Amino acid sequence: MSSTATVARRELVALRRDRLLVVLLGFLAAVTLVSVIVGAAAFRAQLEAYQLYVQQLEQSGSSTRAAAPRLFPLQLLRGSVEYVEILGALFAIVLGYGAVATEKYRGTLPLLLSRPVGRFALPLGKLAGIAGIWLAVVVALTVLWTAAIVGIGSASLGPADLGRILIVGAFSWLYLVFWSALAVALTAVTSRLSLGLILAIVIWLTFVLIIPQLGDTMDPDNQVPGGLFKALEIDSSSEAAVIAHFATFEELRNFLESASPTKHFERLAFAFLGIDDDFNQKPIGVVWSGIWGYAVAIAAAGVAAVAAAALVTTRSNLQRTRS
Amino acid sequence: MNAFAASARHEALNIRRSRTAHILLWVFVGMVLVSSLIGWITNRTVTGVFDRIRAEGLTSQPNPFTGVSPLTYERNTVIYVLLIGALMAVVLGAQASLRDRKSGTSALVLSRPVGTASRLLGQLAGIGAVLGVVLGGSVGASWVVLGIIDAAPLGPEHTLRLLAFAALSWVLLMAFAVLGMLTGLVSRSETTALLVSFVLWSAIAFVVPQLGTAARPVTLLGPVPHPAATGGWFDAVAAVTGPLAVTEQYKRAAGVLLQDRNAQAGDWTGALVVAAALLILVLVLAVTPRRRLRRPLDE
Amino acid sequence: MTAAIATERLTRVFGPVTAVDGLDLEVAEGEIFGLLGHNGAGKTTTVNMLTTLLPPTGGGASICGRSITADAAGVRRSIGYLPENVRFYDNLTLGENLRFFAELSGIRRPEGRIREVLRLLDFEGPYGQRVGTFSKGMRQRVGIAQAILHEPKVLFLDEPTSGLDPEGVRTLRETIVRLNREFGITVFMNTHLLTEVTKTCTSIGILRAGRLIHSSSLAETLAAFPDEESLEAVYFRLESQPVP
Repeated sequence: MSSTATVARRELVALRRDRLLVVLLGFLAAVTLVSVIVGAAAFRAQLEAYQLYVQQLEQSGSSTRAAAPRLFPLQLLRGSVEYVEILGALFAIVLGYGAVATEKYRGTLPLLLSRPVGRFALPLGKLAGIAGIWLAVVVALTVLWTAAIVGIGSASLGPADLGRILIVGAFSWLYLVFWSALAVALTAVTSRLSLGLILAIVIWLTFVLIIPQLGDTMDPDNQVPGGLFKALEIDSSSEAAVIAHFATFEELRNFLESASPTKHFERLAFAFLGIDDDFNQKPIGVVWSGIWGYAVAIAAAGVAAVAAAALVTTRSNLQRTRS
Repeated sequence: MNAFAASARHEALNIRRSRTAHILLWVFVGMVLVSSLIGWITNRTVTGVFDRIRAEGLTSQPNPFTGVSPLTYERNTVIYVLLIGALMAVVLGAQASLRDRKSGTSALVLSRPVGTASRLLGQLAGIGAVLGVVLGGSVGASWVVLGIIDAAPLGPEHTLRLLAFAALSWVLLMAFAVLGMLTGLVSRSETTALLVSFVLWSAIAFVVPQLGTAARPVTLLGPVPHPAATGGWFDAVAAVTGPLAVTEQYKRAAGVLLQDRNAQAGDWTGALVVAAALLILVLVLAVTPRRRLRRPLDE
Repeated sequence: MTAAIATERLTRVFGPVTAVDGLDLEVAEGEIFGLLGHNGAGKTTTVNMLTTLLPPTGGGASICGRSITADAAGVRRSIGYLPENVRFYDNLTLGENLRFFAELSGIRRPEGRIREVLRLLDFEGPYGQRVGTFSKGMRQRVGIAQAILHEPKVLFLDEPTSGLDPEGVRTLRETIVRLNREFGITVFMNTHLLTEVTKTCTSIGILRAGRLIHSSSLAETLAAFPDEESLEAVYFRLESQPVP
């Protein structure tokens, strides 16, 4: 067995026995499930309100009918995707940090480094172990999501729907590996252990929470309660003309949002799950041709993070330790 | 100097020397300033576009920003207090209680005539002083920026409101600092302490509000509290989870102070909930058993 | 002579393990007492109880006449303590570290007292340096300094020579003896280094599996075994005897 595979195997065994990890992943599974339950409950409440409205219309003798709210089952996963985006990334950081930090702290590092292990065996082995754990987690989450939609959302899913869930699962895995690799790199390169973790958290804050929030803040329609267009009483036919005036501003906003891998993951997942109205009920091929750029961006971010981890996890960096 | 004052002074000194704390504090101050700036840029852009579309005859409505409180530009600070500020407070709190456990100095401290409550509350006071300075500095800078945006210094009422907002934010951040201290005291390792704090923070900020409002996590990143959902189970659940969603209650109180149009003037429930959360957490901290302070870390 | 330290049936149980089992011990004022024993014999648990860090589960003890359970605060005012492998606050300077401990001990004008103690230990030079840059030997001197700032009557040292080089060991030994002779501080130390015990201590005790199997002055102990040529040989002989 190569030294990379040995390190990966040991990492997998250690992670499997880590109680904290089990608790965290249990929490992640629970919150994604809760969001499906809440989504389904909200839809039911919406349906009840609609039925009441129809009843009132009938009583008043009106014959007009508003369209009934329609459930697109995959849209129930919106909250789950957002939890992977926010909490999944946070837990991925912890996993990556822990893989290097425990080695540095326990004093097992000199033992490892005194063996004939290859230059990249340690980082790549550790990342392979972590990627293995994430694969298991993503498979479990995918099964859970499917079961939740069918069981709680009382919806039926066709093969195409399952395919969409699987694609989102695959990119979730890539997204989580990206965060773990980033944390490995930062923990390896900083001599003070908690500093590596805090730096990773600051990047997480920026990519996951601040940049998407900035984009939202800068949306002109969000500037006035109820929406700018409504406040200015602009009819929908004129909206495009007004939006044209915001072109530069919108470009800046989009540029900011595009700086975050999280936003790319979100846009991709929302497109495949039909949460983004532009892609709802569109065939997978059509969705793919519209969003492949995001897929490339996520893959590039993942590869870059893994490469960075492999390059900076050097003997000298690992041995510079202050607690 | 008594143990409380000595601990407070020592804690503030340790934070001043900690690079980690510096990174977090500067990120926070920077984001608070950026938020005012972004508010201003957005406002100018929207006003510019409004002038043009009115000239084009597309609307006859008045400028929606007319008569808006200058404090509106500060509203995004609410979200940075919740995101960066809360995490910063959690980290400062956890580091405070982990420091003695990590370095073994807890045995030295506890072999002195020092009460557990005065030691822990003294440390909290030290964190409180640092958070006070950071929030004071941020709000001071915001006061200047808002004055520039409005082309006139803020009047006494707006200044008072801004100060009250800083005080409210301080109370919330102190609650998160206590949360960090408590997890630092009970956790077996530094990683666990930080993680458990983050998990609790995410549960308070996302999961609890979601249960009563059906709001998705990303929607909860907005500065305005999400309204409770109605119908079905939400009526019952929102009644229970509403007061527990401390961060949403903070947004509610901040909205009142910053004169947000959605906020109901004179609604102090949010402020009371945030204060009660801090009080309860401080009481829990004060009764921490002495042995907790000197439990060595596993890692 | 009054006892600086007196224990009576002092016991500490951790779950199924009895770490210290009915310890009866007396250390007279002005002694340098060395508590010996294998790893896990209960030495650190004993010190933790005597320094009020750990409550006993049975029996009791007093330091300078103050009960460790009924008057823990009084005991803390009378003692100085240096645990094993303590690291201090690395980000703070020597002066800042000592100031904190002086303030915790209620010293009114800490600066003057800190300078005085550092002069006494011939350690004034690194006053403004961060403790994180100190060697192990320097850290032990910080440890001694913080332990004597408030002029304690009894000084507890847990493995004070652990990890020190020969020069560091000698400096520490000289400091301990000086504190004892010049200031009358009673010293209670746990140690494994029997040669150091011979050079420093005036009396010794041996713990085995939480029970005190021997306690006497060093001179009497050595005299009781005239055929043994060193304390090490005496120690192993006492250790091999059945528990009374």
